[in-house]
Amino acid sequence: MLKAKNNLGIIFFPAFDWAISPTHPERQERLLYTQDQLREEGIFDIEGVREYKPDVATTEDVERVHFCFPEVSSVTTRSHMISAGGAMKAADLVMEGERDCAFAMVRPPGHHAMKVVHGSRGFCNINIEAVMIEHIREKYGHKRVAIVDTDCHHGDGTQDVYWHDPDTLFISIHQDGRTLYPGSGFPQELGGPNAMGRTINIPLPPNTSDEGFLMAMERIVMPILEDFKPDLIINSAGQDNHFTDPITNMNFSAQGYAALNEMLRPDIAVLEGGYSIQGALPYINLGICLAMAGVDYSHVREPNYRPEQIKQDARTTEYIEELCKQLPKLYFDPPAFDAGDDSRQGMISGDTYVRHRQVYYDTDGINEVQQETLTLCKKCRGLFKVETRADSGPLCLGLEIPIDACPDCRSRGYQLMEDGLIKGNYRYMQMINRKDKDYVRHGF
Amino acid sequence: MLLGIDVGGTHTDGVAVDLEADAKVVTSCKVITRHDDLLSSVTEALEIILSEVDKSSVTQLNLSTTLSTNAIVQGKTEDVGVIVSAGPGVDPHNYMPCRDFHVIDGSIDHRGNEVRALSTRQLTEAIDSCRDNGVRVFAAVGKFSTRNPRHENFIRRSVCQCRDDESCEFADFVTLGHQLGGALNFPRRVATAYFNCAVWRLYNDFASAVERALDEMGLAHVKVNILKADGGTMPLPQSRKMPVQSIFSGPAASVMGIIALTDIFHDSVILDIGGTTTDIAVFADGAPLIEREGIAIGSHPTLVTALKVHSIGIGGDSVISVVGEEVRVGPNRLGPSVCVGGERVTLTDALNCEGACEVGDVDASRNAMAAYAEKHSMSPDKLASAAVAAASDAIHTATKDLLDEINSKPVYTIHELVENKRVVPKKVYLMGGPAKALKLDLFRRFQLSTEVPENYDVANAIGAALTRTTWELELFADTQRHVMFIPSLSYRENVHTSYDQKDAEKDAVNQLTMQLDSMGVFLEPEDAQITHTSSFNMVEGMSQVGKNIRVKCQVRPGVVRTTGRS
Repeated sequence: MLKAKNNLGIIFFPAFDWAISPTHPERQERLLYTQDQLREEGIFDIEGVREYKPDVATTEDVERVHFCFPEVSSVTTRSHMISAGGAMKAADLVMEGERDCAFAMVRPPGHHAMKVVHGSRGFCNINIEAVMIEHIREKYGHKRVAIVDTDCHHGDGTQDVYWHDPDTLFISIHQDGRTLYPGSGFPQELGGPNAMGRTINIPLPPNTSDEGFLMAMERIVMPILEDFKPDLIINSAGQDNHFTDPITNMNFSAQGYAALNEMLRPDIAVLEGGYSIQGALPYINLGICLAMAGVDYSHVREPNYRPEQIKQDARTTEYIEELCKQLPKLYFDPPAFDAGDDSRQGMISGDTYVRHRQVYYDTDGINEVQQETLTLCKKCRGLFKVETRADSGPLCLGLEIPIDACPDCRSRGYQLMEDGLIKGNYRYMQMINRKDKDYVRHGF
Repeated sequence: MLLGIDVGGTHTDGVAVDLEADAKVVTSCKVITRHDDLLSSVTEALEIILSEVDKSSVTQLNLSTTLSTNAIVQGKTEDVGVIVSAGPGVDPHNYMPCRDFHVIDGSIDHRGNEVRALSTRQLTEAIDSCRDNGVRVFAAVGKFSTRNPRHENFIRRSVCQCRDDESCEFADFVTLGHQLGGALNFPRRVATAYFNCAVWRLYNDFASAVERALDEMGLAHVKVNILKADGGTMPLPQSRKMPVQSIFSGPAASVMGIIALTDIFHDSVILDIGGTTTDIAVFADGAPLIEREGIAIGSHPTLVTALKVHSIGIGGDSVISVVGEEVRVGPNRLGPSVCVGGERVTLTDALNCEGACEVGDVDASRNAMAAYAEKHSMSPDKLASAAVAAASDAIHTATKDLLDEINSKPVYTIHELVENKRVVPKKVYLMGGPAKALKLDLFRRFQLSTEVPENYDVANAIGAALTRTTWELELFADTQRHVMFIPSLSYRENVHTSYDQKDAEKDAVNQLTMQLDSMGVFLEPEDAQITHTSSFNMVEGMSQVGKNIRVKCQVRPGVVRTTGRS
């Protein structure tokens, strides 16, 4: 019998009764063929591989991460709570030592969901990785976490959630934002003033194939991880870099995804995007499962896999080689924060960092305007405040007292909340106090 | 009159049940099982029963036998040529069950599309090599053959070079993987097809011998059914092609016996406490739970459907040992209890000391327990009660673990996850030798109503006698490819684009009814149950191109009548 080198837990939750809309890529059918392939391959019979039921995330699990306006229940459905709960279950399996590693094969995805949530962006409502990570930190202590996002789209949501967090390293490998949604994820996006270099973006040119991805992994991601020494490595395992994906332009293969995971050795992988549901997902998911379990994956191959046809050209290789030279510096020796005059990048005045942003929710067609402020504190990572409004909706306030908050920032947070209540400019207010695990909402 | 015979590890039990008289047990017997000559045990039991009942009134004989199981365990199997078409994925050599194993290039994908045709050259070489080794039975197994059996059929035609199912000069028997069931699991399909072939000759010889013996006893008119591990039967003629289905039918006979003896309609736990082991089974809403994928033979998981029965090493003959302060029972059995002439004190001896039962020489139990207690500086009473407590605790804990496992079974829809149907037992049924004696102790652990049904010592044979025929099939339809396929029947039909879930459900029930009808089993329409049904819209680009429909339909295991409790 086949035996896994690493004990792998798989949380398979295909949500066979949920879709964004009948013909939307995020529909019932999405994991059907993956299920068929995994079952036919007998994955769950491999000694050391076990399937688990997802947990269901609670409102508090979501409110630990997000500012949801008007409230959690109106921007999520049951499927989002199960998807996040699936990721949480994966985390518990690993943290409690029941499994060496775990793969949450759940839908819908979450990596486009930002700190503030008014609706759905890029098929994502809540950030399932972030909900999982904060669940880990709440339950098992404050861990250093590295997230490697291998979805073809820039993980702008995860980047936003951890923009100011120096204890979370976020690395996104994706198709260049000049050619694909969401149009962000450039090397100069490095994190907030207190967390410069904790966000690393690796935009790859269209048609990059296995060679380019694995080169970027080997020369950029792995050295950075070695230096960061995370307690946990998480793979946001989007699968739309595949050469058959209908909405992207990359040439990655199931073999490549498996090799990537073998190299990365994530503690937890969470499924993100990937919409070539017949030609790619069954094979990539199989490849990732085998690679994580430490079982030979060399025979996993898509039916129409012709390595010669999807090989990247010499120019692409050259370009990626150059990226591999330049990008590691941004982590190892990040430039000082440029407090210039572009308020969209963020400006510093006195001890306050201010950023103005517009966020478009493509799935729900919402336009959000927000002003973000961070107290630049010497003793902690600072009080975070965001004022936000969706379309012509009411003004809302979010406040976050960080886990390492100093007494000043902590009391300032409560002060701002009180001021907000008295002055009454805000329809909805939410405070996340990570230090005392106090989560407060007003106006609901 | 229905006869039931259960060939067990130690005893062969037989009963005759009179359906006319309220399913009353007319007579029963117990004879020793002779493993080297199972037929003689069967005929011996039959002869005893026939001395009490009128031959002409007997209409049916249900037989549960350990023949296939033993053959596999003892390695008395035949060489099989296993020829597979695997395509990409996990290396099939990981699942190699035997020497004559050949992987042929070719692949079929998850939709049932042929991606690559079988290599004829490799196939010919493989078959030649098997023939050179004198192989006469073959298993043809393809990955995704339950979606499209083309490669398996091609292998069969190449092996046999004849069109029909009969044996030919080149091969005596060929198992086609897709006919073993519609489930998706290639490694299990390989193992199941292999075992089916490996015991085929032995089983068929036995089946013929049984038929001959019945003939000689004047029972030629009797319909013979063979018990399966899922708590159902299959008619003897059908079982000749599916001998693998007859493995591990023993525990199923006992569970079906409980159904026959009682009126289970709650979630319940069944504990069959035997000499060496306790078998734990769980009922949900009055129906026994089935192993999700199939039972494992040795280290090989298979597609053979079985009742979910968990065995632990605690029984009447389990040895008592003292380690430090702790009193343990089992898991070893080192000969019989002291009260029946054994040397080491056992659970039964402890129960004798407590006065919970009177098995054999009770004084011998007392003396041996006292001597053993003395050695560990304990009082005999304390040793006995600690031993009984340890056994009850072990059974209770194992049951709880089993229930946890059942309740954590993964589900794939939000509806099921939210609905969260849990099995919560309301009742415990006990059977087997020490059942009565352990009743009170187990009641204290479970805190649930505990019952020991009458006739519990031959419940297995009663279960065998009253069990009805079960069958299941899976239907798979792909309206984009215009295909409807029922693997276990090798039934394929072209369907229109408008074919939908309702049509599929109707077809599944009809085909199941027709299949049983052809085996001479009459089915009430409500007996065929749809256990799974789903339809997925297949979308390409932004438009729907077809439906992917899966329906699973089965006759649930059940008994024809419950005994005298109406």
